[in-house]
Amino acid sequence: MGSVALRNIRKSYGAVEVLHGIDLDISDGEFTVLVGPSGCGKSTLLRSIAGLETISGGEIVLDGTVINRLQPKERNIAMVFQNYALYPHMDVAKNMAFSLRLAKESKDEIARKVNAAAEILDLVPLLERFPRQLSGGQRQRVAMGRAIVRDPEVFLFDEPLSNLDAKLRVQMRAEIKELHQRLKTTTIYVTHDQIEAMTMADKIVVMRGGHVEQIGSPLDLYDHPANVFVAGFIGSPAMNFLPAKASAEGLRTASGVILGSAGTQLKDGHDVIAGFRPEDLRLADTGIPAKIVVIEPTGAETEMVLRTPDGTVTLTTRDRIPHAPGDQVHLSIVPGKMHCFDAATEVALGQVGGAS
Amino acid sequence: MNESPRTFYWIALSLVGVVIAIYILFPIFWLFLASFKTQAELAQLPISFWPQTPTLDAYKALFSPTHQKGQLLDWPRLIGNSFFIAITSTVLVVFFGTLAGYAFARLKFPGRDLILGGLLISRMFQGAALLLPTYRLMNMIGLQDSLIGLVLLYSAFGLPFATWIIASSLREIPRELEESAMMDGATRIQSMVMVVLPLATPALITAAMWHFVGAWSEFAFASILLESNDNKTVTIGLASFVELFTLEFQYVGAAAAIVALPIMLVFFFGQRYFTRGLLAGAVKG
Repeated sequence: MGSVALRNIRKSYGAVEVLHGIDLDISDGEFTVLVGPSGCGKSTLLRSIAGLETISGGEIVLDGTVINRLQPKERNIAMVFQNYALYPHMDVAKNMAFSLRLAKESKDEIARKVNAAAEILDLVPLLERFPRQLSGGQRQRVAMGRAIVRDPEVFLFDEPLSNLDAKLRVQMRAEIKELHQRLKTTTIYVTHDQIEAMTMADKIVVMRGGHVEQIGSPLDLYDHPANVFVAGFIGSPAMNFLPAKASAEGLRTASGVILGSAGTQLKDGHDVIAGFRPEDLRLADTGIPAKIVVIEPTGAETEMVLRTPDGTVTLTTRDRIPHAPGDQVHLSIVPGKMHCFDAATEVALGQVGGAS
Repeated sequence: MNESPRTFYWIALSLVGVVIAIYILFPIFWLFLASFKTQAELAQLPISFWPQTPTLDAYKALFSPTHQKGQLLDWPRLIGNSFFIAITSTVLVVFFGTLAGYAFARLKFPGRDLILGGLLISRMFQGAALLLPTYRLMNMIGLQDSLIGLVLLYSAFGLPFATWIIASSLREIPRELEESAMMDGATRIQSMVMVVLPLATPALITAAMWHFVGAWSEFAFASILLESNDNKTVTIGLASFVELFTLEFQYVGAAAAIVALPIMLVFFFGQRYFTRGLLAGAVKG
């Protein structure tokens, strides 16, 4: 069992509060990703759960027990650090055995557990190597092995892939996810990379400035962002935003272009931010006038940056583009795919139908 | 061709190095040669470079009480005293320097950086300025003419620098290693002993070497604080030769060689620790 509940967690450094009352429930076996820009408090929150930071207020509950005041070693939580934090003077086997040695387990038991973890992580041939003799991905696996041998209630990962190159990152992402599916240990994973969050998480917690902005499944956040920040943070390339006003004909931009029909809940003249994802934007014969600035083919998809009278937008398409930079085109938003946010509060007003 | 100017540069630099080395080392080598010569050979002209009849008489004399004459001291005893002082104070300095260095590197307390800076300033004091006050102080607490007194004094002098070296090296050791050890179930002390200190070994050895060499070769304080012949150290022994009416150079050479030996050994065996990149692979930079 490894269910975690955070109740109104606060953390201050002197007069500066960096966590402003975080509430979060993580059920047993869930893979939860804390994501947000740097300085949002996600690492601090993770380290508080680990016991490496003391919190200024609130409760951290593990399986019904409040663990605020427990030392890290008493929490039965394992952590994988961003820079792996392997003990350089110990070989791989000793690195993995360290916690078991401290727990005074028998030699046979230690050997059995280390070998079992090494099997899972393909580390058997590397057991006698030292960290400096390993590649980045191997070090990463040793760090995970060290966490696995303890059979903890909860795994914590603090940006574990950010030191790896792009290709290895994708590979390790899959390995961590597979490992989780196999061990089913509750996992809390911190990253600033929304793609990692999207691909790995059962549940994503988007944080900003010490607040939780939104909690939900990856596709839930993608399809129903609660505010402009989440909408812009989740998804790559990012969602397009154009300022507009509600009117009888629909959402009208400052230049007079109608983006799509406004929902019934909006009063005329209501200032909004219209949001639409690059893949929900189409080239059309009529609609939003735009000039092509850049065309970036990636093979499977082509990304285009276009300038409209009201701002720059991005479009992605799987079609081949019969245009060149500088061409004048028209754009339309796929009906039903427009997000509408209040201009003042930036909170979602619900999806409204897009048209023409 | 890029090669020839570079070769020329290399040769020129090497030559300069050789000249400097000879300039520095020749007097020492000359003294060393003298220790194998007889009194007669040292007195004769023209001066011979290599010992004509190499002999270990000077060394034998230093180590046999029957040969002692005049003020010639009991050298085995001097060597024992010097070892006792140097080793004991080195152990103290490294032990307390490690604890203090860890505190400076890892704990937050008011005035930390100020105090650490103050430690360095204490190094800039001219030792000679402290001779008299120290003598008075040691007299007052009854530690004059005592090896223990000298051990405590050297430890007090050596601790700031050792603390500084150790603190700077501990700062280089990633905090995550300790945090990781604590997550793995270690107490703070366990994480320090099992993870941090093994990685700080080069710094500990550096601090120990510095202190040992300093304590072994210290002269001024030893000469004013130690009075009885039983308590004297090798440096005082060396100086005592000069006070003789006839300077017997072969004894000076032999004694100097003996005094230099531990220091040379320390550097010989300690050197590799400086170059060993023990931290490589700990974290990705």
